[in-house]
Amino acid sequence: MKPIMLQGHERSITQIKFNREGDLLFSASKDVKPNVWYSINGERLGSYDGHSGTIWSIDVKWDSSLFLSGSADQTMRIWDVETGNCVSDLEMKTSVRGVNFSYSGTMVAYTTDKMMGHHSELNIIDVREPNNVDATPIMKTQVTPTDAKALSVLWGPLDECVITGHEDGAVIKWDMRTGKKIEVGTEHTKQIKDMQLSHDGMMLITASKDTTARLWDIATLESLKMYKTDRPVNSAAITPLVDQFPHVVMGGGQEAMDVTTTSARIGKFDARFFHLVFEEEFARVKGHFGPINSICFHPNGRGYASGGEDGYVRVHVFDDAYYQFKFDF
Amino acid sequence: MAKKKLKMQDNDDDGGAEEEEPDFSDPEDYVDDVTDEELLGDLLRQKPKETDGVESVIIVDGVPSVGPERLDKLTNVVRKIFKEFGAILNEYYPINKDGETKGYIFLEFKDRAAAEEAVRQKNNYKLDKQHTFLCNLFTDFDKYEHIPEQFVAPTPEPYKDLGNMSYYLLDENCFDQFSIIFDGGTTTAIYLNSVPEAVEVAKRERWTETYVRWSPRGTYLATFHGKGIALWGGEEFRQVQKFSHPGVQFIDFSPCEKYIVTFSPHVDQRSEEPQSIIIWDTRSGQKKRSFNAERPPLWPVFKWSNDDKYFARIGEDMLSVYETPSFGLLDKKSIKVMGIKDFSWSPTDNILAYWIAEEKDVPAKVSLISVPSREEVRTKNLFNVADCKMHWQKCGDYLCVKVARYAKARREKNEVKYSGIYYNFEIFHMREKGIPVDSLEIKENIQAFAWEPVSNKFGIISGELPSVCVTFFQVNKGLAPTELKKLEKRPCNNLFWSPQGQFVVLAGLRSMSGALEFIDTKDFQVMKSTEHFMATDIEWDPTGRYVASCVSWWGHKVDNAYWLWSFQGKMIKQQTVDKFCQLLWRPRPPPLLTQQDIKDIKKNMKKYSSQFEVQDKMRFSKASREIIEKRQKQMATFTEYRKSMIEKYQEDKEERLKLRSGQDTDTLTSNEKDFEEEIVEFLVKKDTTQVEE
Repeated sequence: MKPIMLQGHERSITQIKFNREGDLLFSASKDVKPNVWYSINGERLGSYDGHSGTIWSIDVKWDSSLFLSGSADQTMRIWDVETGNCVSDLEMKTSVRGVNFSYSGTMVAYTTDKMMGHHSELNIIDVREPNNVDATPIMKTQVTPTDAKALSVLWGPLDECVITGHEDGAVIKWDMRTGKKIEVGTEHTKQIKDMQLSHDGMMLITASKDTTARLWDIATLESLKMYKTDRPVNSAAITPLVDQFPHVVMGGGQEAMDVTTTSARIGKFDARFFHLVFEEEFARVKGHFGPINSICFHPNGRGYASGGEDGYVRVHVFDDAYYQFKFDF
Repeated sequence: MAKKKLKMQDNDDDGGAEEEEPDFSDPEDYVDDVTDEELLGDLLRQKPKETDGVESVIIVDGVPSVGPERLDKLTNVVRKIFKEFGAILNEYYPINKDGETKGYIFLEFKDRAAAEEAVRQKNNYKLDKQHTFLCNLFTDFDKYEHIPEQFVAPTPEPYKDLGNMSYYLLDENCFDQFSIIFDGGTTTAIYLNSVPEAVEVAKRERWTETYVRWSPRGTYLATFHGKGIALWGGEEFRQVQKFSHPGVQFIDFSPCEKYIVTFSPHVDQRSEEPQSIIIWDTRSGQKKRSFNAERPPLWPVFKWSNDDKYFARIGEDMLSVYETPSFGLLDKKSIKVMGIKDFSWSPTDNILAYWIAEEKDVPAKVSLISVPSREEVRTKNLFNVADCKMHWQKCGDYLCVKVARYAKARREKNEVKYSGIYYNFEIFHMREKGIPVDSLEIKENIQAFAWEPVSNKFGIISGELPSVCVTFFQVNKGLAPTELKKLEKRPCNNLFWSPQGQFVVLAGLRSMSGALEFIDTKDFQVMKSTEHFMATDIEWDPTGRYVASCVSWWGHKVDNAYWLWSFQGKMIKQQTVDKFCQLLWRPRPPPLLTQQDIKDIKKNMKKYSSQFEVQDKMRFSKASREIIEKRQKQMATFTEYRKSMIEKYQEDKEERLKLRSGQDTDTLTSNEKDFEEEIVEFLVKKDTTQVEE
């Protein structure tokens, strides 16, 4: 498959996300401007100006009306997707690491970094009136000093719980109403780099620096499957067509400073496809010039996009070989 | 302590100059409640006892007979030899009528233990060529005089059955074993190289502290520890033997595995015995002999003859050959060779080859002597020699001496600097009458040289890295070696022959990014040209069927793995192992079949191969069946899980509708009625065509 290369960022990509219908692709980078593109032909719509630091995390509301970005400049901003106007600018005490709209889009969960005496926090705010957002959180939990800082956050399927991924590899499920921990999964041994839900919200996949990705059941936070590679995994995603083609895709790579010691000939940073049930790798897609930092499937399951340390976003559409590939069993 | 009462006297008021000394004596009726034993026990123990004088006396026979003028020297020598067992309390040198010592002496030590130790260590001590000490306890004479008439058989010690040490040769599929060290050196595992997957035979954490070595015939696995070496073998890899040599760094096995040599740079200052190199008997664990070594030594210091009968080492201007099992110098003296630089044994005969460096006007020389006769079998003078290296062919048929010759030599201060180096290969035909020598000259720098193990071919890598030439030669009877094939500009720095010959792997290891080429030297066809990025080692299995290329964690911190190839270069397996360090194949002892037998089997190859093909097919299908069963099970569990999830998902649908204010967003097409259709035009492609005028 020949990918579309999106060149719009000057520094490495931190996260990319499709909107729910898949026609728009949002990309965030260490250069301070998130971009939005038409995924069908790679045409850029525009960028959202206003931040002054690395954008760590982004999210889109389910109806594609609002765009959310969390940045290292200690602010979280809500934007109007169509016009690019900043609707709301919320100041935080430290850098915002993870942001996520709730299923209904009425609430936002975000996590902040542990810096300069402030602890890492998980907060939830009400955004029903985006122009007039009350910055005081309706629920706030301090990730206690003993817990490693929370880096990524996801809402559970019916907005009843929030799941966070931490720097020590712990995956913690919090009850939305009480703010208490319900479940903790500690199978990962190093930092969780990314977490993504399956399209029905029933399964969770986590990508970790300990060179593995794991598939979890949301309700019990039980680790169902483990996918092993030889390099730190930066991002992982589950295909929306999980019942016909049970695949997961993972992207990662050696840390930037170790790059020259690996077999790093041009374009050897690959996205790896694993069979979800058999935990076996069956395909690799080469092309990036640096480690892949974020990867996600197109919501229709017919393609995927990956963003890398090299600042490029590559959008792929699967050809027939993908659909015809069958595992013997 | 005993109570003491002080009677202090008051000072006189008149300020007398002297005070009376205070009185420390006990009062009259004081009874001491502490016994002498408690108070002075250690002193009392040393109080000489009347009895037991006899028990710590030893008699030493075989002492030289000397006259009174040399008696002092003799006593000094004897004292020095025995002083390590403690103080010599008494010595008596009986003198005969002529004033000379009788030849036997009495020595009294501090106690019985010291005497026993002296007897144990110094019995049979060789003082010099003519005198060997025979030591006995004085009380032993008593014992031997009163030996009972009846013979009472001693109870035999139960035999430590080690099991079948060669069990691995009986594997019905003839799979070889190999050891791997991984996890940065903490875990060692032994695998059986079975088809299709390697099967783990044993795995232990911290089995060795640094690395492992197989014995030359594959019977034992030696592991290194701070206190010494441990040997493991048998079906379950039980500990067979251990050798205590603190700080051991290097080991060497004798070719028939009878002896093991260990080296440690730690020296125990207290003992006068040399301790750096120790030779042990492998099966019994007994220390046979120890030697000193210069530090750091060029290992292996001792080189063994192929039948374990002799071992030799180089010293300053001499070659010391020792024989087993006595471990004494052959003919009681070393072979004096002025200017000897290096030596090696023939792998099949008891012949030593050594070379002597050039000295002013005397040319350098390569010499072959047979052991034990010390007869010079062949010598060759060489002129303008800077350095020599000896390579024996595996069957002992040929010896190749790579001579670095110089065009000019300059004397600079104390060193000699050579320039204009070119190379000569002197090939000694060992099996022909008179051992004729062929000479082959190569102008370029030689990177590597290797004999084909079972024939008369050899390969050399010459030239400057990175683009070197690989040339293959054949040694002929009566003619100079003929060049068979020259391969130009190959990225390699090493060549590895298969142990059975015919196939060779050219490898560019370490700095050359692991380029591999598999060549069949029957027709010099390059069977496969491939690479294993950053490979650090190549290991052929002992049968010559497989090649393992390794990326060791000791050389390269990432991508640690070993890859298995067939001898034709077909990739069989890529096995990534966490922090993989070393892979070693378990060696096989030389086969028991005669050459004729081997020829017969090769002739009937077709018959055997059809048998094996059927077996192989069955094995493969079994493996895939197992995998398929496993997968089916996994899929079944997963589908069930998904079913329950989907049910829950359907149950929650109402909730979801509520959350998104009535919009059904479950699938991309579930709310089509809300879609607006709009036709948008956008530029897809621009194309220009020239229209002919």
